[in-house]
Amino acid sequence: MTNALLADQLDQSIEMLLANAQPISANPALAELIAIAGQLRLLPSPEFRQRLKAQLHAKALASTPLKAPVVEIRKPARRQPDPLPSLFSHPQGSVRASRFAVSFLAHAAGVALLLSSGLLLPTQRGKVSGTTTLVELGPYPLAPAPDQAGGGGGGGDRDKLPASRGNPPRLAREQLSPPSVIVRNFEPRLAAEPTVVGPPDILFPQSTPVGDPLSSVSGPPSNGVGNSGGFGNGSGGGVGTGYGPGVGAGEGGGTGGGVFRVGGGVSAPRAVYTPDPEYSEEARQAKYQGTVILWVVVDPQGRPRDLRVLRSLGLGLDEKAIEAVRKWRFEPAMRDGQPVAVQVNVEVSFHLY
Amino acid sequence: MRTLESETGERLLIEAAQRDPARFAELYENNFLRIYAFIARRVGNREEAQDLTSEVFHEALAGLSRFEWRGAPFVTWLLAIAANLLAKRWQRLGRRREVSAHALDQSGVDQQIEQHAMLFELVECLSPDQRLVIVRRFIEQRSLREIAQELERSEGAIKQLQLRALENLRVKLKEQP
Repeated sequence: MTNALLADQLDQSIEMLLANAQPISANPALAELIAIAGQLRLLPSPEFRQRLKAQLHAKALASTPLKAPVVEIRKPARRQPDPLPSLFSHPQGSVRASRFAVSFLAHAAGVALLLSSGLLLPTQRGKVSGTTTLVELGPYPLAPAPDQAGGGGGGGDRDKLPASRGNPPRLAREQLSPPSVIVRNFEPRLAAEPTVVGPPDILFPQSTPVGDPLSSVSGPPSNGVGNSGGFGNGSGGGVGTGYGPGVGAGEGGGTGGGVFRVGGGVSAPRAVYTPDPEYSEEARQAKYQGTVILWVVVDPQGRPRDLRVLRSLGLGLDEKAIEAVRKWRFEPAMRDGQPVAVQVNVEVSFHLY
Repeated sequence: MRTLESETGERLLIEAAQRDPARFAELYENNFLRIYAFIARRVGNREEAQDLTSEVFHEALAGLSRFEWRGAPFVTWLLAIAANLLAKRWQRLGRRREVSAHALDQSGVDQQIEQHAMLFELVECLSPDQRLVIVRRFIEQRSLREIAQELERSEGAIKQLQLRALENLRVKLKEQP
């Protein structure tokens, strides 16, 4: 019998097998192969085998005490005792006396170690850090000081031309009159020196005409396309692209391009509502721990915004940290009695117990 | 024949899985095909056999802490669970049929189950082409034409692949001790 004929007859028999009929073959060479084919009819699906393995693995992980940890951000103000499995809650029922004694001693030693390590190495997790060096200060450095300030402003008087280049006017704690290179009101009722808001100890050069120091055009003179007085394409009587009476791309006064930062008369915000983050499933299974550091702006209403990851952990923990801190609420930072937006760093610690 | 070494290895595996259920995966891999073959031979239907096999291993994992080593191989315990499930199934269907350990030899598995399990395992040793034809033909019950289209080959070539796959399985089965 040729090979092709044998293959044909075998296939016909397999067709009958698959149709639940009894194949009949007079060829003894085929009998063994048909018997094997009959057994292969019940061959398990490889996908089923893998799927069942994955299901069992997940079930096994879920039933492992070490792999179902309690996750929390621990805050110094209300530190909770570390959860430990109870000696009397053996999942399989009764425990033999000798094993119980060994288990008891091991647990007692563990508790003692845990408590003493807590006393020797106190940790502060989930706390609000008060300083940062990550935002550029712009063209006007502050005087050396232990803390740093930030802020900015912007202005313009809806001119068709961009603001002309020049130096900002003197910095003062408060602004009575915004600066202007094109004077629209020649007879003001109350004449006052134009200033921008910022630390008065920063001295800008006053030899060139007033204007926006970051402008790319030197003339003709213009207050810029912004609004509410001042220079630039921002708003609020300041100089630059920001919002407020300061100088730069930030807001709320001051200089430096960015929101205020803690220090230089700006108080730190205080976290008043700090829900804990969840653990990501991936990190939990990998028993992965560490600290995520987030760059956060706390706005004058005490809400976090513009969250960014400064130190990443991965395995989904960065997203979980952002998700949790986004729900946090703060007492806002204050400057001269007014709430202001500030930038702070927030540490979120993930630990398995 | 089970050696002392393999017994010790299995006992260590069981104890490891009792301490850490994540280690159950190794016991599963070692016993899956035997349990499946045992059930499949009795129910004669792949879907039902897969469902029951799944139940056996889920029950085994849940009750692993109760298992006590008494010298019998682990598969015997799994087979007892499978026999119970089969008995319940037949009771539910109104059939009276008994499945007991009497049919099993000293090693815990009868020779036919062992041979079925071995055959299923040998399919994994076929060349990728031959294995694909076996899976498509016997599990997915696809026609030769469909397989030929998928592999971009002629029906005759697929028929030859099928023949060679079965011949290889026959030879490998005979080579087994």
